Amino acid sequence: MAQPVPPSDDRLLLNALVDDELDAATTILLERRLEIEPDLAVEYRRLMALKERVSGLDRPPVTRGFEARIGALMTQRAKSLTPANRSGFYRNLSALAASIIVTAVLASGGTYLFTTSHSGFSIEDEVAGGHRRSLLATSPVDVASSDRHTVKPWLDAKLGVSPPATDLAADGYPLIGGRVDVLGAETVPTLVYRHNEHLITLMAEPGAHGTVPPSFEVASGYNIVHWTEGGFAFWAVSDLEQTELEAFVRDYRSS
Amino acid sequence: MISLAGTRALPDRRGSARPERWPLVDADRASERFREVVLPHLADCLAFANWLTGSRHDAEDVVQEACIKALNGIHGFDGRNARAWTLTIVRNCAFDWLAKHRPKAIISVGDLAALDDATQSEGRAPDESSNAESELIRQAESAAIGAAIADLPHVLREVLILRDVNGFSYKEIAAILSVPMGTVMSRLARARARVAATIVEAQ
Repeated sequence: MAQPVPPSDDRLLLNALVDDELDAATTILLERRLEIEPDLAVEYRRLMALKERVSGLDRPPVTRGFEARIGALMTQRAKSLTPANRSGFYRNLSALAASIIVTAVLASGGTYLFTTSHSGFSIEDEVAGGHRRSLLATSPVDVASSDRHTVKPWLDAKLGVSPPATDLAADGYPLIGGRVDVLGAETVPTLVYRHNEHLITLMAEPGAHGTVPPSFEVASGYNIVHWTEGGFAFWAVSDLEQTELEAFVRDYRSS
Repeated sequence: MISLAGTRALPDRRGSARPERWPLVDADRASERFREVVLPHLADCLAFANWLTGSRHDAEDVVQEACIKALNGIHGFDGRNARAWTLTIVRNCAFDWLAKHRPKAIISVGDLAALDDATQSEGRAPDESSNAESELIRQAESAAIGAAIADLPHVLREVLILRDVNGFSYKEIAAILSVPMGTVMSRLARARARVAATIVEAQ
């Protein structure tokens, strides 16, 4: 004999009971009713059976291929934010623009006011760009001195902060001066050393925490060694060979 | 020349707590957060999208699209329920995908109102004497269960999947769908009644 379909509120309650979503008091009341109301009990068993079957259904596996696809998204995103994805046209255009700005700035004899904060350049490219511009300038430094007692106070006076400005002439890296460079929107104290005929630009961005050992990278054709210590994030950039640049970094850090 | 494009080139900078203005560092952080927040739930995402789109291939496309959105919007994650946050994005992407590829499968708003009307009864009255229907359901082929679920309108199907396949609570489902909890309950009751009825009729 067919029973009446339980009223909608009861059906909601039965579903909630099956899903373990009822509070204790309501659960007890409903369980008592299940004992004395056969149509409710039948519906309850039907729901239980269904729930078991649905939750037991196979789930599609996460294949390695799919994981790789998702992993590639992160790489692509990083790439899209570096110059690698910029079109040749825009790269050339920005290079042209850069050289015009550099010429204009140098003509006025000022320091480097070159902002690329939202251009999508990576910091390594900006570091390399700073080094390149210094090579194009008539003088790579704003204060020319091998005397740390000249360079450091000059940077301190300009920016209120300066990294250790040790002359490493004894190690083959004479300090030739300092300047203020711009990374992103920040002014950064910068030291310039010479090794034979090569210049080494050492940018020291203040406000960095912790210590990170030196790592080697290449950007825009220049070799870069980056490390963090003593509250500065350092970038040493040069066209020196990797081993020579790393030797300079060792000497600077141990000075 | 070493490429700086990958996340691989950047681990040295994690300890230096650099300001967020560098896009590359920003991308690196987003990836790291994405790895923590979204990646653990890929299986859940695929299972859910699979039931909504009806195919594994399409489910992967939907989840990939959702991952792109999640990666770009990862800074908007409030840090509370990573799984629900992720599935909400997958759900939205799945419905965008359905609107584009299966426009006729999407139920109209008028029909939706009828579905949410909890006073409507669903299915036949069960046969009390033998518990025959629960037995039929227990013994049905998995394919028959799957077909009955696939036969549901999407708005009912998603509630059933989120509850029984993904194991979300009523409250979480209400948040994912942005509907009141009572709506979740009535849709779930309706979905189960329909699936049970379809299975029994098919036997």
